[in-house]
Amino acid sequence: MTMLDQIEAAIPALRRYAHALVRDRARADDLVQDCLERAVAKRQMWRGDGPVQAWLFRIMLNRHRDLLRAAGPAGHLVAVQDLASEPAQSGGQEAHLALAEVHAAMGRLPVDQRAALLMVALEGRTFDEAASILAIPKGTLMSRLARARATLRILTGRTTDDPKGHALGQKEVKP
Amino acid sequence: MTQTPPLSDDDLLAWHSGTLPPDAASRIAVRLADDPSAQAMLADWAAQDAALAALYAPIADEPVPARLRDVIRRAEAAPPLRNPLWQVAALLAVLVVGAAVGWVARDATAIAPQLASLQMNAVQAHQTFVAEVRHPVEVPASDSAHLNTWMSKRMGRDMQPPDFAGAGFALLGGRIVPSPSGPAAFYMYEDAAGARVTLYILPQDQGNGAAFQFASDGATNTVFWSDEGLSCAVVGDLPRKALREIADAAYDQLL
Repeated sequence: MTMLDQIEAAIPALRRYAHALVRDRARADDLVQDCLERAVAKRQMWRGDGPVQAWLFRIMLNRHRDLLRAAGPAGHLVAVQDLASEPAQSGGQEAHLALAEVHAAMGRLPVDQRAALLMVALEGRTFDEAASILAIPKGTLMSRLARARATLRILTGRTTDDPKGHALGQKEVKP
Repeated sequence: MTQTPPLSDDDLLAWHSGTLPPDAASRIAVRLADDPSAQAMLADWAAQDAALAALYAPIADEPVPARLRDVIRRAEAAPPLRNPLWQVAALLAVLVVGAAVGWVARDATAIAPQLASLQMNAVQAHQTFVAEVRHPVEVPASDSAHLNTWMSKRMGRDMQPPDFAGAGFALLGGRIVPSPSGPAAFYMYEDAAGARVTLYILPQDQGNGAAFQFASDGATNTVFWSDEGLSCAVVGDLPRKALREIADAAYDQLL
């Protein structure tokens, strides 16, 4: 498999991650295209240290970071505490979550937390792989994952608990 | 009965990942049995994973858009220049042109008005496009075959962007920019740290065989010259000496 074949084989996964991260089809595919252009141009500089796919994700995340920096600080982030009083949807006791609700909640996560959660939960990366791709220490990854999951629970009405603690008996799931 | 401390987020994340070694997993399983809130949290996490997969996994099953596949096709069609002949040609050019630079530089004269205008246009193009994150160039270097054909056609002469790898700058790509004297070629280069240098080329003389000139506008420096039917400017936020080296390389390769 040539380098170009390996890059091409990674496109579906890059698109999946980019769409979930960027949340806009055209902009997500723009991001993937930027990533591919860079990878193709730099493919001879790649030293073969690790899987091609991880290298591609790293290029894409760097590019995404540059774009965010160029766009300026996000002005719409709301503190989690301010969201906790939102009415829980339909009691929140179902085994599955309403997809639209989860999609909306993902959009309210800080982008670093969203990037971390998607790398593990959607892409199935191990903690070590995800930390390496995101270029953060493993401890930072773990805390972003925990905060992202706690915030999602609140935003999907599963708990009104503070993200730090676990105790809230009434939300116990009954099989 | 002694109270064990509640399971930490890290414990639960590791458990949820399913990658714990058996002994660690069974230790956590014991504590989980007495911790309904942790059980509830794990159930919600599993529901989150299922929702994320349902929302986003299908994107990977869609056909890949043509414009993304085209990036690979173009790269296959135009492998990057690693041709030894190319390097020999570049070396010869350096040898031949060394003498020419001395000849041209023999009478440094006042800047011709057209050349001053070229310098200003080059700086304007530089400042306009260097700030672009998404679209700094119209045709990327990865598509060099198309870039060269297109530029050559519009400039009415063979156009090959010079290689500044010796100075640590790689070609990003190029575009055509308007100028009072007709279309000009505009190439952008970037080094490993993201610093950008641009090369502006007008395919006509603007002043007779003018030697290298230097202009400075705050942090942005320009080296420009006109010779043999080409008027060029190299613009960048680089020290004068570093920019001069790039201009030398451009001069050598463009002749």
